[in-house]
Amino acid sequence: MKSLPKLLQLVLTIALIYVGFIVVFDYVLGQVIPASLLNMYMFFVVAGALAVFTFTEEGARELAAPLKALVEDPGKKSLRNIVFAAVLVAVAVFAYFRAVPSLEAPVELRTIHPAPPSSAKLYGKRYDLLTLENPYRHFEKEDPEQFNELVAEGSAIYIRNCQYCHGDKLDGKGPYAQGLNPVPLNFQDVGTIAQLQESYLFWRIATGGPGLPKEAAPWNSSMPIWQNFLSEEEIWKVILFLYDYTGQRPRSWEE
Amino acid sequence: MTLLLGVGFAGSSVAAPGDTENGEQIYYKRCLACHGEDGDGLGPAAERLNPPPRDFSSGQYKIMSTAFDEMVPQDDDIFRMIAEGMPGTAMPGWSDILSQQEMWDLVAYIKVFAGYDEEEPGPLVDYGTQVASSPESIARGDELFHESDRCSECHGESGKGDAIKGLKDDNGERTWPRNLTKPWTFRGSNSPKDIYARVSAGIPGTQMPSFADPDSTKVLTIEDRWHVANYVESLAAGTERVNPDNTVIKAGRAEGGIPTSWDDPAWGSAPASTFMLVPQIIAKQRHFTPSNDTVTVRAVYDDEQIAILVEWDDRTRSIPGDEKAEKISNPDISEDSVAIQLPIEIPEGMEKPYFGMGDASHPVNIWQWKSGTAETSSSVHLMNGQGFEDIEQREADSIQVAATGAYNNGTWRVVFTRPLVTTETDKDIQFQEGVFIPIAFAAWDGSASEAGSQHTMTTWYWLSLQSSSGSRPFFIALLAALLVAGLLYFWVRSARPQ
Repeated sequence: MKSLPKLLQLVLTIALIYVGFIVVFDYVLGQVIPASLLNMYMFFVVAGALAVFTFTEEGARELAAPLKALVEDPGKKSLRNIVFAAVLVAVAVFAYFRAVPSLEAPVELRTIHPAPPSSAKLYGKRYDLLTLENPYRHFEKEDPEQFNELVAEGSAIYIRNCQYCHGDKLDGKGPYAQGLNPVPLNFQDVGTIAQLQESYLFWRIATGGPGLPKEAAPWNSSMPIWQNFLSEEEIWKVILFLYDYTGQRPRSWEE
Repeated sequence: MTLLLGVGFAGSSVAAPGDTENGEQIYYKRCLACHGEDGDGLGPAAERLNPPPRDFSSGQYKIMSTAFDEMVPQDDDIFRMIAEGMPGTAMPGWSDILSQQEMWDLVAYIKVFAGYDEEEPGPLVDYGTQVASSPESIARGDELFHESDRCSECHGESGKGDAIKGLKDDNGERTWPRNLTKPWTFRGSNSPKDIYARVSAGIPGTQMPSFADPDSTKVLTIEDRWHVANYVESLAAGTERVNPDNTVIKAGRAEGGIPTSWDDPAWGSAPASTFMLVPQIIAKQRHFTPSNDTVTVRAVYDDEQIAILVEWDDRTRSIPGDEKAEKISNPDISEDSVAIQLPIEIPEGMEKPYFGMGDASHPVNIWQWKSGTAETSSSVHLMNGQGFEDIEQREADSIQVAATGAYNNGTWRVVFTRPLVTTETDKDIQFQEGVFIPIAFAAWDGSASEAGSQHTMTTWYWLSLQSSSGSRPFFIALLAALLVAGLLYFWVRSARPQ
């Protein structure tokens, strides 16, 4: 590293981090990083890198040395003119493209699992979501045969109502998933129902997309208001099925 | 021979024979809900799926490579359907959550329903020597396809499946000829080899016959079937496909007035956006068996008006009161129709109207075109929606929403026009340049029982009227460069040794 000039080190560090963000988001996580987010991250990266590189006075001087030389050394006059001309062209091009109206769709950020209310009005009754429990869950230990029957009933309800979007495999890739935005949730993923309590699912299913708080963009969600179609018992059975099929466990207060 | 005919599954031929007991267990967990306990396709999902789940007990397999006069499919055929699924249906591919062995176990168990575990698969389709695709082969296939209406009788002149017949399968279930320009809906892929197998074996249980059957008046030689397969594969070339990254309809400025008919050459330069249509399964009455699957949109505008061209493939021109149209249709024919939904107020932030016909605090405009009946011509309707159940009917003429449509070879093309601004600013969207306007679509196929709330629709996409920014960006660029030049100049001057 000693051989590289400080200024080049700084530029390389920032460039590497920039490329790193794109690689991690676009390829590793498979989700393209929004330009606004990348810009914000890079602001902090540049500020941070500058702070590190100019931490000592000597470092700051070393960093500025090539620039200073470029401007002050009469022998570098032609190089200076070239560099300055390049900077001017870059500024002009950047300003031009900022001024041309963008064709890219606005980025819509939304909260996937918004915080639930402590209580909700479902089926015309007020439920305390903190204490609400799946009335069938206890059969799992007490009467496995009865439990399996309830799961099978849940499966039938699921396949008649939910598979169109959430898929036969509960992977969020049903036949119509592609036509929806936001995409249907993947229940196989450990980041979805395994992180949630059954009461949360009951609330989300019963009130559907329009029941979401604003930060979750209720106007875009295609999740129907299931209390208009299914009974409370049917929803609880579907919830049993979701956990049983995927092998996930609902989150509970005891754990 | 075996090498030539291999179905193309790495590992499929090396797997151990399936274990029916293990297959039964997997079947109970993964397959029962659709295919039923007895394999008869009468699981709880059955009545809400079209095509319905396969009835394994009948022994009839639609997508197979067994020659036409035999029923028992190849094990590879069944394995492939499990592994890859059936595109365009509710049957997904299972290879991501089941192992190869598990899928072979399922093959073994599924065969039991029809007693096929005790029978040998029938002889394979005779593939002969494959004819590679070439312009000559495609041209020959084109001829054979249309010769005496061999294939076009059901698949239509342009292959879009614009039927002249009402087709039913052996169980009386309505079936529609494949739209051959949309390969992603082919149950068994659109590789020439797969198409060749369909043409040769037919699709058992449906009205798709075998063209290898020497008793058929439409019989084709092996070579000719390859030509037809190459032609069918080529039909996808001009199809507008859904591109998930293309969510913006870019409306450019029209020179010399906006186009008011679908065949105006001005549309040629307008970029197309294609969106997936999904059935309305959110509000009562839900619709589980959709007909139309995509919609392609273009838009242009000038100082006064905007024009939006909406195109979609529809197999049937639905004309209530027309004897021929009613014969092809499901019972209770309705008009074909398409609608555009726009927010009355263009949102400044994220918050949009609910995509299902707006909501109480965010009303939407809906422009609907209906194709007309034997007695009446097409019509345009204007509605303001504040949710599924709060719709105000208005006079389309009052704000000059107009629409004209034409049906050609399986495709509807409808042009909507409206002035950019109206007098009723609180009841109608006022179009603006350079902003992103949410836009959504709905379509009805009146011959496939689609009417009222039973239709297909899209979620919100964007419409953008691209302002001609003129020379402004140039001036801004120049200004920025001058400013920086000044700074650099002062830097150099101040650095000069005194």
